[in-house]
Amino acid sequence: MADDLAMTNGKNPEDWIRLISTDGYSYLVKRKVAVMSGTLRNMLNNDFAEAASNTCPINERGIIVEKLCEYLQYKYTYENAAPRQDGPDFTDRIPPEIALELLVAADYYET
Amino acid sequence: MARSNNVRGPTSALTEFLKESGITPTTIARRVRTRQVEQPAPVAGPSRQAENDESAEADVAENDEPVEREYNSDNLDEDDEVPLKKKRKLTKAAEAKLKAQAKAKAKKGKKKDDDDYSDDGSDEEDAYTALSKMWKDETKPPNGSLIECSKCGNEFSVTQYTRQAPNGGWLCHSCLKASGVDPFKKPAAPRKRKPLTEKRNVTHFEEHRLPSLANMCIKVVSSHIDDVEALGDIGSMNLDSIAKAIAKDRSLTPENATLFYDVQNTNLTLYDATNLTPPSLCALASLNPNLTTLRLDFCGRMDNSVLAAWNKSLPALTRIELLGPFLVHASTWQSFFESHPKLTGFLITQSPRFDVKCIESLVENCEGLTELRLKEVGKLADDFLPHIKKLAGQLTYLDLSSPGEPEAVSNDALTDLLTAVGAGLRHLDLSGHALLGDGFLFQGLKPHTRQLESLALALTPELTDAGVAEFFATWAGAAAPPNPPLRHAALGRNPELGGAALAALLAHSGAALESVDVNGWKAAPEDVLNTLGARAPRLRRVDVGWCREASDWTVKALVEGCPDLVEVKVWGCQRVTANCPRKRGVAVVGIEAQNFV
Repeated sequence: MADDLAMTNGKNPEDWIRLISTDGYSYLVKRKVAVMSGTLRNMLNNDFAEAASNTCPINERGIIVEKLCEYLQYKYTYENAAPRQDGPDFTDRIPPEIALELLVAADYYET
Repeated sequence: MARSNNVRGPTSALTEFLKESGITPTTIARRVRTRQVEQPAPVAGPSRQAENDESAEADVAENDEPVEREYNSDNLDEDDEVPLKKKRKLTKAAEAKLKAQAKAKAKKGKKKDDDDYSDDGSDEEDAYTALSKMWKDETKPPNGSLIECSKCGNEFSVTQYTRQAPNGGWLCHSCLKASGVDPFKKPAAPRKRKPLTEKRNVTHFEEHRLPSLANMCIKVVSSHIDDVEALGDIGSMNLDSIAKAIAKDRSLTPENATLFYDVQNTNLTLYDATNLTPPSLCALASLNPNLTTLRLDFCGRMDNSVLAAWNKSLPALTRIELLGPFLVHASTWQSFFESHPKLTGFLITQSPRFDVKCIESLVENCEGLTELRLKEVGKLADDFLPHIKKLAGQLTYLDLSSPGEPEAVSNDALTDLLTAVGAGLRHLDLSGHALLGDGFLFQGLKPHTRQLESLALALTPELTDAGVAEFFATWAGAAAPPNPPLRHAALGRNPELGGAALAALLAHSGAALESVDVNGWKAAPEDVLNTLGARAPRLRRVDVGWCREASDWTVKALVEGCPDLVEVKVWGCQRVTANCPRKRGVAVVGIEAQNFV
């Protein structure tokens, strides 16, 4: 919990953050999960409009944003797990059709 | 020195090292014994012969295993017969050292506990080759002798399984078993020192990191690389941003590089080709036969074989940009130029082997050359310049920055070069030429340039503030159609320059400047720096790092005065605080007072 607070710059890690895709889909993730992405962390921890409204527009298609959220949740769950307790392999959950698009998104969002 | 238990003190680094290498007193003793029995005749002739052959071979074939060579060089003056493949052998010097040590130890031991050694037979031994006494448990009575058990008091005969009691005496077999010690247990293997890499593991970093999403995507892409259908329509996506994302993780491999290949490709840029081996670089050329423009960053593994293959497979190539082709030899460069007479752009960075013959061949063969970059070329010197002069009239881009030897090119030679090629140049980079001085500005740049847009003269310590100021003040009046204002000026790392030079630069080029680098002009006064924003409204990138006078007001003027501003670097500007004005889309980088999160 202390870690969560540090990552969220003192804001409540249990807040819901809305991520909106270009084609209008919204995804709700907790703040502690969203800050797993470096870019989202910077957005939410500074005095930007995103931080005030807890809403981040994401310049990707819905299916990409969905997978991004899935990964952030995966990362949040398993990053602090005890060593050698590997989580499931996320690679299996990436459909090859979106791999390239997801790669560009992942690069931008520093996940 | 007398030990009451089995604890051993620290041993010297040499002892540890020898033990690790399998050299223990036992092996030394065995060798001494065999030596005493029979002295093998020196067979140096044949074995040395073999070694010489091998080292000669190693010189020819560079890829020979270095381990073996190292081993051989260690062994050159070995004169007793040893199988060549033996694990490790001591050199004579090391052996002598070891013996000396053993001797010293033996002496020391003797002096201290004389009476302990009634039976060790050291008298017959050659004192010089005697074993060190520290390796044996000297306090233990010899096997077979009858002593009293320190626990039950019964007499028993000492065997090799007899163990010491905690109080220093010896235990009989039954007492030993009763105390829970297994007498037949082999002594634990000597602790081996961990490899250094393990020891130096820095624990400040997260050890157990999840692979990043980008990494996993690349894995998926790589595994489906041959399945065109599965990856969907690549054409609709920006291949360049994919190339950048892959390069960022240094995960471009021979397998997934094919993603960027296409027979119809005319343009290919790979941002990190570190992992592309020579065969895959050859494949790159044959899979993209129609390339006209090729840029490879970090192509350090490119060698002669690659360029030789490119001679045949890239007939249409006109522009090539390479970062780090270290391994290519001069003769290969020459054959490359001979087979690519259509080259108009040749841009390389970091090549220690590119020599004057190469530039001669380049100028001779590629008559249409307009762009030339020989950045960080080790052999760049005065004698390169006459060849470059032959490109007068056609050369638009010239970058000879950071020569291997900063003083290799003289001010006069550079001035002379500009006299010839100056009229056509749009971009000139002569950074890092230590001898370049004010004279070059007045005799080279001022009278001869007509269309220079971009000038880089960083790290040229001979330039003076007054000289640069006068140059910019009088440049416009120097020729009939004057040189237009500069769009890019990189004059950083010149601590001698200051306010006068900056004011003159802004007066001359301010209206057109898009990027300016005055990094390290430590004396530039604040009021002049603050005019940057107002006098150069088209600025996009500014580096005012280490301008000690720069303040929040400097940043404010830039942010307010330049609508296209993207980046301001303020490293080392201690008067710029975290409170300096910001704007969306403008990155202010390097604020020292900022709390990094």
